[in-house]
Amino acid sequence: MKVRLTAAKVAIAASAVVVLAACGSGGSSSAGGSSGGSAGGPVHGGNLIFDAVQDAQSMNNTTVFDNNSIWIFEQIFQPLYTVTNSGKGVMPWLATSYTVSPDKKTYTFTLRKGVKFSNGKPMTSADVKFSIDQNRKATQGWAYLDTAISSVGDPSPDTVVIHLKYPWAPLLADLSIFANGIIPNNYGGQTEAQFYTHPVGTGPFMWDYWHKGQALKLVRNPYYWQKGKPYLNSITWEDVPSDNTRELNLKGGQAQIDQTPAWATVASLKTTPGVDMYLFPSTQTNYLAFNELRKPFQDVHVRRAISYAINRAALVKAVLFGNGKPANSLFPPQVPYYQANTPGLQYNLAAAKAEMAKSSVPHGFTTTILVPAGNSDYVTIATILQAELKPLNIKLNITQLDPNTVNNDEQTLKYDMVLTLWTMDIPDPDELATFAVDPKSGARSFFTAYDNPTVVKDTHAAEVTSNPTQRQNLYNIIQAASAQDAFMAFLYYSPYPYATTSNVHGFFVTPLGNMHMENVWLSK
Amino acid sequence: MGRMTFVFQRLLLLIPVAIGVTIIVFFMIHLIPGDPARTILGIHATPRAVAILHRQWGLDRPLISQYWLFMDRLVHGNLGQSLYYGVPAGPLIWSRLPATLWLVVYAAVLAVVISVPLAMIAASRKDGIRDHIVRAVPLVGLGMPPFWLGILLIYALAINVRWFPVSGYGTGFTGHLHSMFLPALVVAIALAPVVIRSLRASMLNVLGAEYITTAKSKGVSGHRLFLRHVLRNAVIPAVTVLGINIGFLVGGTVVIENVFAIPGIGQLMINSIFERDFPVVQGVTLAFGVLVVLVNLLADLSYAALDPRVRFDR
Repeated sequence: MKVRLTAAKVAIAASAVVVLAACGSGGSSSAGGSSGGSAGGPVHGGNLIFDAVQDAQSMNNTTVFDNNSIWIFEQIFQPLYTVTNSGKGVMPWLATSYTVSPDKKTYTFTLRKGVKFSNGKPMTSADVKFSIDQNRKATQGWAYLDTAISSVGDPSPDTVVIHLKYPWAPLLADLSIFANGIIPNNYGGQTEAQFYTHPVGTGPFMWDYWHKGQALKLVRNPYYWQKGKPYLNSITWEDVPSDNTRELNLKGGQAQIDQTPAWATVASLKTTPGVDMYLFPSTQTNYLAFNELRKPFQDVHVRRAISYAINRAALVKAVLFGNGKPANSLFPPQVPYYQANTPGLQYNLAAAKAEMAKSSVPHGFTTTILVPAGNSDYVTIATILQAELKPLNIKLNITQLDPNTVNNDEQTLKYDMVLTLWTMDIPDPDELATFAVDPKSGARSFFTAYDNPTVVKDTHAAEVTSNPTQRQNLYNIIQAASAQDAFMAFLYYSPYPYATTSNVHGFFVTPLGNMHMENVWLSK
Repeated sequence: MGRMTFVFQRLLLLIPVAIGVTIIVFFMIHLIPGDPARTILGIHATPRAVAILHRQWGLDRPLISQYWLFMDRLVHGNLGQSLYYGVPAGPLIWSRLPATLWLVVYAAVLAVVISVPLAMIAASRKDGIRDHIVRAVPLVGLGMPPFWLGILLIYALAINVRWFPVSGYGTGFTGHLHSMFLPALVVAIALAPVVIRSLRASMLNVLGAEYITTAKSKGVSGHRLFLRHVLRNAVIPAVTVLGINIGFLVGGTVVIENVFAIPGIGQLMINSIFERDFPVVQGVTLAFGVLVVLVNLLADLSYAALDPRVRFDR
């Protein structure tokens, strides 16, 4: 019995695939300026596709801690002051200036004229008062940053007065956070839940849609206060969890920005035609945390020994493929009052052995590091640590658990050692210092139970000291003491990696992760 | 037993299946370590903040009471609120279901399109060179990891020649047809070898039957003999194989959804497990259970459509 497959039949099958390929050609996304040329100044138009690692969680700026949500709603909500590009200061944004009373407890802000919400209504002091008051009520969210505020007044439409309970040095930095972004008074007549399903703000972009787990789209705000901006017609954040797929989307022209390309691909992306690879200085710092509720980590000599034994340059090379720097301080270099001369414990095997000899376990011990399964960077670090601790007779077991379990065990201090990281929310070290060293803070000294009363006292003293020199001195002491206490081993500082297609211009990420997408434009 | 009675009885089976799925999933997901409140709060997870969220979500109640509440809501068509997104879980799952159904159905169709002609070619010359090639080559597809094959196809057909999009689900019928071709092809390539082998074996059996000899003696040959007499009689075991594999596929599309960034139910399931979004995990598992039962029911019903001799007795 024979069935003949003729050339004609094969051709029919092949042409079916071609027809199929052609039938959807109109459906794929495209980008490009609608006017102007490929050279010279910015042009208007185009829809930018931004491939994000993860979907947003919520648009409620006062309660959400998730970065993927924050970076999106920062395009909608704007604060009175915003972070400078260096990440070390603030600049006027919806306010143009302020004055402060001699007792440093009353700040009077003048609002920018001509600012409108995306619904066309003008922004007034009543909106500002409502917004900051809402954040102060968000006890499940960012209210802790506004605890120094006793009341907010709106004496005239363009004047806002903030009264403090006590002098508070980080006030402007705290006001620059997205959680203090301005929304319409009384949610524009809606309930809170209704408002955040299609939020309204003064930012360069306004709400279009959110298909959860797929895409979130913002479109140009026609009432935006910066003349001529934004340049883009819209931005669509697409949820693309796979590193490979984000990269392929970029290469295939299906997306214009790839958030967080894998470190292993950074070198090749730098030389890929049509792709620009950026490494923006960031405030991200990676640490190795020790649980001081468990033996032998109460012993400072053990912690110092481990910290000395870690070859940070090797970690940077292996994990970041050389695209980072060894960490010497609790603070990253992009944070105000960072002290480059902090005597952080760096790789020194002889010193490590000397510390072990002085410790309660001079002959070594067995311990465990918790690692989130599937996080190849952390697995690499743990494997390197395993080898590096051997000369100290420390047997390190690596336990891989699902990320949620690791997170839970870290927060409930059910671990020996765990890898953790931090990025700044405000351009002031106060939030980081408080979370990191104050065992009474919500984070219990970054969930290490570290408690050095002098460091805690200095941290709170720096909050109420407005003199920059005095603050620098206090933060120098905090950085030096926390390094010597080795409550965490400071591992490395890493940049924010972003890849874009070469027709993306004006894209910049501040060390805090903020993006001013109003400056971004697409050339043809 | 009539067809409608059979269908009704099988649909009734959904009730114990659904209850069984809810019990197993509910208690398993609550027994594993992890806390959605701590995931959402991160570094801000003070004991007070965690306790407030637990109370808000009802997680401070006894487990059995939580299960009862879940079942009570379920019979009223309410799967509860997603803990992560803070929106109703039902519509969230419903919005992600079409992409997965598209993938599964499209893959099944492509698997049939690939398998039937190849099985016919193999069976037409048993132990011949073409038979050996057809039996061996598709096994390569079975052996290749789907994510790797997916990336290769993306490079070849989406980057080099740009016939298809790299990823996504597309919009509208033709958009879906276009965007989902590569992911469906990857799944079909993994599915086809099993179907080809099953179909080939059945065809060889049928080719030895007396009614085929009779048909040949009447002068029926070539395509007509294969399509009218051999394929129709040989297809039932292959339908069973396909049905079972589609059942597995429904729960196993997550790798493909990840590689091609398809906003399907598998991806939602994985994210929800990581976030301990209990209502969504429970809802998705329930949807998987119902889909698997329905796919098997469809396979059973197709027997009668393919072979009128089949009766729905038991």
